[in-house]
Amino acid sequence: MQHKQNNEFINSVQHHVNLFEEKNFRHIACNDLKGWPSPLAETWRLSRLGSLTRKKIEPIIPDLKKNNYLKNILKSSICINFVDGCYRKDLSNKLPDGMNLTYLNDDECLNFLNKIKNTNLADHPSTNSSLSCTPSIIKISLKSNFHLKDMLEIVYSGGNENKSVHPVLFLELNKNSSLSVVERFSHFGSLIMPLQLTEIAESASLKSIKIYDDNINTYNLSAHSVLLSKKSSYESFSLIKGGEFTRSETHASLKGENANLNLSGVYISGTKQHHDLTTAIYHNVPNCTSKQIVRGVLGGESTGVFQGKVRVAPNAQKTDGQQMSKAILLSDKATANAKPELEIYADDVVCAHGATIGELDDEQLFYLNSRGISKDKAREILIKAFLEDIITESVDQRLCEFIFNEAKVGLSSIINKVDKHKQ
Amino acid sequence: MSLLKIKDAHLRLDDKLILKGVSLSVNAGEVHAIMGPNGSGKSTMSYMLAGRDGYNLESGELLLNGNLLTEMSPDERARSGLFLAFQYPVELPGVGGMSFLREAVNSRRKHLGLKEFDHLEFVKEARKEASKMFVKDEMLKRSVNVGFSGGEKKRFEILQMAMLKPMVSILDETDSGLDVDALKIVSDGVNSQRSESNAIVVITHYQRLLDYIVPDFVHILSDGAIIKSGGPELALEVEKNGYAGMINAA
Repeated sequence: MQHKQNNEFINSVQHHVNLFEEKNFRHIACNDLKGWPSPLAETWRLSRLGSLTRKKIEPIIPDLKKNNYLKNILKSSICINFVDGCYRKDLSNKLPDGMNLTYLNDDECLNFLNKIKNTNLADHPSTNSSLSCTPSIIKISLKSNFHLKDMLEIVYSGGNENKSVHPVLFLELNKNSSLSVVERFSHFGSLIMPLQLTEIAESASLKSIKIYDDNINTYNLSAHSVLLSKKSSYESFSLIKGGEFTRSETHASLKGENANLNLSGVYISGTKQHHDLTTAIYHNVPNCTSKQIVRGVLGGESTGVFQGKVRVAPNAQKTDGQQMSKAILLSDKATANAKPELEIYADDVVCAHGATIGELDDEQLFYLNSRGISKDKAREILIKAFLEDIITESVDQRLCEFIFNEAKVGLSSIINKVDKHKQ
Repeated sequence: MSLLKIKDAHLRLDDKLILKGVSLSVNAGEVHAIMGPNGSGKSTMSYMLAGRDGYNLESGELLLNGNLLTEMSPDERARSGLFLAFQYPVELPGVGGMSFLREAVNSRRKHLGLKEFDHLEFVKEARKEASKMFVKDEMLKRSVNVGFSGGEKKRFEILQMAMLKPMVSILDETDSGLDVDALKIVSDGVNSQRSESNAIVVITHYQRLLDYIVPDFVHILSDGAIIKSGGPELALEVEKNGYAGMINAA
């Protein structure tokens, strides 16, 4: 059954490729389409795609007339819009001189494909499907020594029932450039499979925020590969709150010495939502640091997953890798899974990991109640405190307030159902 | 007029009867002291009044200003004017002192039909009260009770009392962990809040606190019941003869 479903989606992807050719959309024909991962595959064991594979889904043909995209968060931001997975120049701002936005040509597409194949995302279902089904691979490049002062906001929206959406982005930061970017996923429809490759050259630095807030029926299988050169830095924060099933998978390779990586995230899950933050960090060279802090808040019958792998290669001495995940369960029917994995082949490293899963503290709740603060408000205060340090530490200051508000909206729908679920 | 009335309260914890018929009536303008040895049920009484989960009456009645406390949740009791100063104030990492106080005070003000403080008004008000309690600005910026010394925690409790302006305050062993100087500051803070319209119940082991907060009535709680009531002289008797003599006599 599983196999047949796989074939079905692959067939529709292949059919789609032909359609795209007729419509003159650029694409890469991926000849090793693999379909859905097996539920037995280790990295998908905690996040099974059973109900997705039973859906009849085919790739979307982008509707270039759609214009229901999100407004930018900051007035000063430079905005880029993808609708139905297609870059929309008409809905996007012009980039400043230090930045370029181009469509990859055929040769560049093959080059891109090879780069992706060399990363550990080669087997990710979004990789091969999205490479085949994306209407265009967009490359955003920052010139050497260019620093974008304003925020770059990228919004992915669109989608349709029983359709899959395939935005593919190649983000390149050349030497000593810097960028702060916020990406927001806000789709309707069945499936979104964003694919991104980020290359950060020597001494360049990227601060990234991702907000996953797709519609409640949407599956989002996001795959992101980050390559860091020496003295570069990548600091990212993901907020997962939307969708029926959202998996944010990031693979980061530290390829040059003295690079610095921070992959943090918060998931806020209610109803029957499934949220998954999967990361893999490859310390390939000595003297790099990586840090991951993850916080989850779960209500209803939701499930949260954090899978964090840190691999330290034999020569990657003096590595400093830290990982900490904490989850709070607000309902007896919610589930949190944490799977930290350390693979250390070097002998002079500092690596630490820890995971806790628990409920809100009764003593603290009672103390707040005894001061006249209602149960819901007390829970909100304690959860905000639980998220406070990670948000203020990881998020660009200009966006802290926005992120706190987004988190608050997500929390309010969970918190006011707590007592119902406890009874 | 009676602000707090406990009528024949029985309370069981884990199948063990802890309070075996406590009765107490506290009128406006009065300060009552409840003294008793370890395990007599003093802290149980304060949790029962504040409405902590699991501390439910088996029989009897609790009234705050004539209203049944047992029909109110802990937060409703607090908003209605009951305040408990904790023996061990709870640390709230990540919850700023100022925003915690504001949330508490505004909940009470809203209940009383008063206008809620905006941020600036509140900061002004809080600083004024805090300085009286020798609570530094810096302490209000920190997380509630986190890294506070024993004295700071108790001062912060009494600052909350001053700002919430409760009808009835229960001070649960507020003297524990305090040195003489801190004891004086805390007692001065409590005394400054004594008025004809509120009432205070002081729970303590030792007579020492009652030198500073002089009660109108003293009750001796032993094995879940009040065995003796009297004036301040009763506290001196405890100091002189210990609880044992008094318990045996009863």
